[in-house]
Amino acid sequence: MSFLRVLCCSTVLLAGCTLLESNPNQTWAPPTAQHLTAQNLQRLRAHPKSPTDTVRFVFVGDSQRFYDETEDFVRSVNQQPGIDFVLVGGDISDFGLTRELRWVHRRLSGLRAPYLTVIGNHDQVGNGRAAYQQVYGPLNYSFRYGGTKFVCVDTNGRESGFRGRVPDVPWLRRELADTAGVRRTVVVSHVPPTDSDFDPQLIPAYTAAIGSSPQVVLHLAAHIHRYTAEQPYHDGVPYLTTYHMGKRRYLVLSVWGAGQFNLQTVSYGPAA
Amino acid sequence: MRALLLSLLLGAAVLPALAAAPTDPPTPPVPSTTDGLIAQPWYRPHHLIGQVAGGQGMVTVGVGYTTLRGRLDVDVLTGYVPRKYSITPMGIFTGKATYSPWTLGLGASRWQVRPLSVGGLVNYTASRGMNASLDGKYPKGYYWWPARSRAGAFVGGRVAYELPTKANGQPRTASLYYELGTNDLYLVSLYSNIKALSVADILTLGIGVKVDL
Repeated sequence: MSFLRVLCCSTVLLAGCTLLESNPNQTWAPPTAQHLTAQNLQRLRAHPKSPTDTVRFVFVGDSQRFYDETEDFVRSVNQQPGIDFVLVGGDISDFGLTRELRWVHRRLSGLRAPYLTVIGNHDQVGNGRAAYQQVYGPLNYSFRYGGTKFVCVDTNGRESGFRGRVPDVPWLRRELADTAGVRRTVVVSHVPPTDSDFDPQLIPAYTAAIGSSPQVVLHLAAHIHRYTAEQPYHDGVPYLTTYHMGKRRYLVLSVWGAGQFNLQTVSYGPAA
Repeated sequence: MRALLLSLLLGAAVLPALAAAPTDPPTPPVPSTTDGLIAQPWYRPHHLIGQVAGGQGMVTVGVGYTTLRGRLDVDVLTGYVPRKYSITPMGIFTGKATYSPWTLGLGASRWQVRPLSVGGLVNYTASRGMNASLDGKYPKGYYWWPARSRAGAFVGGRVAYELPTKANGQPRTASLYYELGTNDLYLVSLYSNIKALSVADILTLGIGVKVDL
């Protein structure tokens, strides 16, 4: 059997499996659209950096039901020089459905750089947590690139009824404490602690953990669909939020040195 | 002369009927084979259903009723999706109406084809681990759609094979059908992304069998 025939059979089979849907909330995804966090981290590590190198990445949020715009986003990001990876700040889907995650992935897989995500509140509706775990991976995870550690944490407290467990602050403390070989840390979440969808009883512990970690350069979030930059806890940690995909804008962030960063906003139009 | 001939002819036509009328036994009402009104208790379903996919479960069973001269099927189904494809197993309860305006016989064979069906359904997915979207966790209007209730629409077709007729003269068939459909959330996604998404992206396929009781 030729390679083409195998490919053709599997494509037909895949289309058939997608069509034969038991329920929109089912968590099935084809193997190529599974464990994307691990797949993309592997791609990232294929281009290692030294601890002294600047890390440059794109940060955008809330791709939920903005497929037209996501295509234009990919076109624009692919024209940016020197992007190490793209970070999507949650609400990848609108309804927490596997098929939505796959629609977004089909577009974001066109990025020249690998992309990484953090889970948003919309991604937790229905069977969304299981869909995210299958398509992307763990809800809390961290990775190192060069001398920078990125801690991606689920902060969607309202989705679990504000029961004092989301975000997982003990996990965050452990991640922030594990700084061997780390020059700077960036915390990434979907809901910022300044928002009413963040579990109010965990705000002090969460922000204290971040504020007391000298390595933290930035706290990044999305959810509120606009760019903001402030130091709400007067601890030297800037809290940024980014644009949603529908806004046709994104941030390009560079981090280097002991805690330096640079921020650029890029606007893009619809494809001609 | 012409008038006489005419009255004779008329009389010849009418007389045998008049003569026969008193002796004929009353004819029993013939059960209709076309109007779908089946002489049985209303609660007794007309057919059994087995289905896979179509958003109604990995494995789905149901019962249904046929009306409107056999053109409309009204079905209720219960579907199951195992834990492997969910947080906790899903039970899916569906109400569905399928309208098939045409039935074509295939020559002298026992096969029939319904080339086109259109239908709609609503269903509720019960699953303990699913995160509800309209409960007390959220302020009013936080999300606009229910995570567990879906509405769907489909087009389809059906191939039927005539089984031996029932004792009361009702026809019976066993049939294989398909439904190519979508649901409200996929439609909303397509509507706001006409450029990036296509109809093919939002389609689901269901395949099932119906056997008349």
